[in-house]
Amino acid sequence: MSDLIKPIVPMSNVLTRRTFMVATGSALAAWGAAPALAQRIRIDPDAFQPLPIAIPNFVPGSPQDAQVGGDVAGVITNNLKRSGLFAPIDQAAFIERITNIDVAPQFQNWKTINAQALVTGRMTRQGDGRLKAEFRLWDVASGQQLTGQQYFTAPEYWRRIAHIISDQIYERLTGEKGYFDSRVVFVDETGPSERRVKRLALMDQDGANVRYLTKGADLVLTPRFSPSTQEITYMEFGQGDPKVYLYNIETGQREIVGNFPGMSFSPRFSPDGQRIIMSLQQGANSNLFVMDLRSKSTTRLTDTPAIDTSPSYAPDGSRICFESDRGGKPQIYVMPAAGGQAQRISFGDGTYSTPVWSPRGDYIAFTKQGGGQFAIGIMKTDGSGERILTSGFHNEGPTFSPNGRVLMFFRDPGGTSGPSLFTVDVSGRNEQRVPTPGFASDPAWSPLLS
Amino acid sequence: MKLKVDKTLVASVALHVLVIGWGLISFSARSLEAPPEALPIDIISSADLSKMTAGLKNGEKDKPKPLVEKVADAKPVDEAVGKITDKKEVVTSAAPEPPPKPVDKPVEKKPEPPKPEAKPKEEPKQAEKKPEPPKEDPIAEALKSDEAKKPKPKQEAKAAPPQPPKPKQERVFDQSKIANLLDKRDPTRQSITGAALNPTSSLGTATGNSDTRVATWKGAFVAAVRRCFSFPYNGQDADQFEVDIDINMKLDGTLASTPVVVAVRGPSRSVADAMGESAQRAVQQCQAYAFLPKDQYQTWKYIPMTFGLRDLM
Repeated sequence: MSDLIKPIVPMSNVLTRRTFMVATGSALAAWGAAPALAQRIRIDPDAFQPLPIAIPNFVPGSPQDAQVGGDVAGVITNNLKRSGLFAPIDQAAFIERITNIDVAPQFQNWKTINAQALVTGRMTRQGDGRLKAEFRLWDVASGQQLTGQQYFTAPEYWRRIAHIISDQIYERLTGEKGYFDSRVVFVDETGPSERRVKRLALMDQDGANVRYLTKGADLVLTPRFSPSTQEITYMEFGQGDPKVYLYNIETGQREIVGNFPGMSFSPRFSPDGQRIIMSLQQGANSNLFVMDLRSKSTTRLTDTPAIDTSPSYAPDGSRICFESDRGGKPQIYVMPAAGGQAQRISFGDGTYSTPVWSPRGDYIAFTKQGGGQFAIGIMKTDGSGERILTSGFHNEGPTFSPNGRVLMFFRDPGGTSGPSLFTVDVSGRNEQRVPTPGFASDPAWSPLLS
Repeated sequence: MKLKVDKTLVASVALHVLVIGWGLISFSARSLEAPPEALPIDIISSADLSKMTAGLKNGEKDKPKPLVEKVADAKPVDEAVGKITDKKEVVTSAAPEPPPKPVDKPVEKKPEPPKPEAKPKEEPKQAEKKPEPPKEDPIAEALKSDEAKKPKPKQEAKAAPPQPPKPKQERVFDQSKIANLLDKRDPTRQSITGAALNPTSSLGTATGNSDTRVATWKGAFVAAVRRCFSFPYNGQDADQFEVDIDINMKLDGTLASTPVVVAVRGPSRSVADAMGESAQRAVQQCQAYAFLPKDQYQTWKYIPMTFGLRDLM
């Protein structure tokens, strides 16, 4: 627009006229520029695409650290890939070989292979025997370091270090907490279907480091992690009625939760880990009770001629969701944590069971049965926005990852086969089988370990 | 006779003429400088261009007279031994060879002045007769017979109408024609096909202006940035996140400075901030935007953008 003004000004010899023309020119310039300023160009992705990221092997501090350097990079790659949000680039495509993480990489080499982020790291065994892990996360486009950390640990905990680094990368690039440094307790199943041995087992969220907590003498069901302590609560069929137990992972000690007449089942911790909410059988019915673990005092929450079970706290501890057939068939209800008026929130076709409140507080996951299908789905806490994430024969028992972005559940195809564990995003994408040594069911995700 | 001329008037007139003249030239010239509204989105390299414009070695060649070639080439070669006499008759009447000779002859004969009008008249006849041989070809005959049949009815129709219609138009009061004249409804209401209604359906309606709104530099720019924008988020509230980013461009299509995140919106601030960084990365990663038209630099020197996650779920 300045070109427009220049030829006009010299022609004018009157001050007022010049002023007028300059003003007119300015107005025209403003008018011409206004649409560009007002109209923002809108860009939405065509479809979801995972973020391309390059994760070269961590540089070994000494030749003997080469193995662990590659292993750590492998675990990080696997974690990010399984999340479905990242697309780690095949190392065979790398142009540059990282040899020193204290020197900025040649970013053009990583742009060429379309990497948007780059992870460099180094593993060094210290003089005291500990392992030092360092990593840097780079923004390839700008050449800026997004984050960088170093950790010291015993060499046998290298895998946990890899999970912690994975969480750092995940959080820096997505803005949300990760979930890789977490564990899953589940029921390990071995043997033929008519004489199945069921043991409590614990593993990393990626299926590694499996260890067994019980020997399989008694049937165990519905293990649940404490959100704040290294404890598990579960149901076990002993000599008499099935009872709810508390198990300390660190010490291996276990104790019975209360000593109620009849069957107690479906236990779950309160968000602060100080109470356990569960169902107690009373005749043909069952009702919800909560027990304070310190005072051992018990409070009845429901008193209905129906089966109320599978209670789950909201993360703020103010409400609980549970399953009840008080309306004729199993549906999901929500009520205040101290008891009171329950409100039904599931209204779709079929029956709803095993409700679980997300650690984020935004969704309630459930198992939905109908038409010979078992579906895993989520709905908002008011019952709206129901979304089926996976459907088929006998999917059951959803549990949320610590960040509420992934669900784990088990699928039992029936017959001579047995159940397996699967994960799926809350979006319904990226369903993946979780590797376990044998058949596995009833998973429960722990909170983040760190 | 001396005319008193006011010098100031002369100066005034001259100045006005100059100003008006300059205005006419300069403004009229500017009005013609309509900026091109549309640009092709696809960008092709010189290699692509040469590929597209290159011919094919094994491509099909033009076949000017396919029907004649079939009759003349195939049959004589196959049956050259046994049916020479029969074929000769056919060949002489329908072969392609005769036509060139008559064409040559008239050309040679035309320059000859002595045999003036009689021969030229005959020659055209010969020329007409020589194209006629193809009539013996069954397809050509069928075509000609069709053509012959068509014109006749037309001639009859042309001949007939002039006499009878005049009296009829004067005498008969056709109510339907009056009704048609009074009918102001949209003619497209009548039962015609969609293709007839809108022959350019792929380009939108006849009155649409979509062709002026697409294929601008903005479309190409959006497509280019979108290729690099991948924000890792899988929440169902994805459509509530938005990031405003302003960028300043150089004339060569590269960024003049780091993209500035002006505002972020969404249920989670940390996620929205991460999305802002992701959008910055996308804009930086995909530069240079060399396809942006340099003659419209003023329109894209500064580009305000909004990134969203609409329809991601």
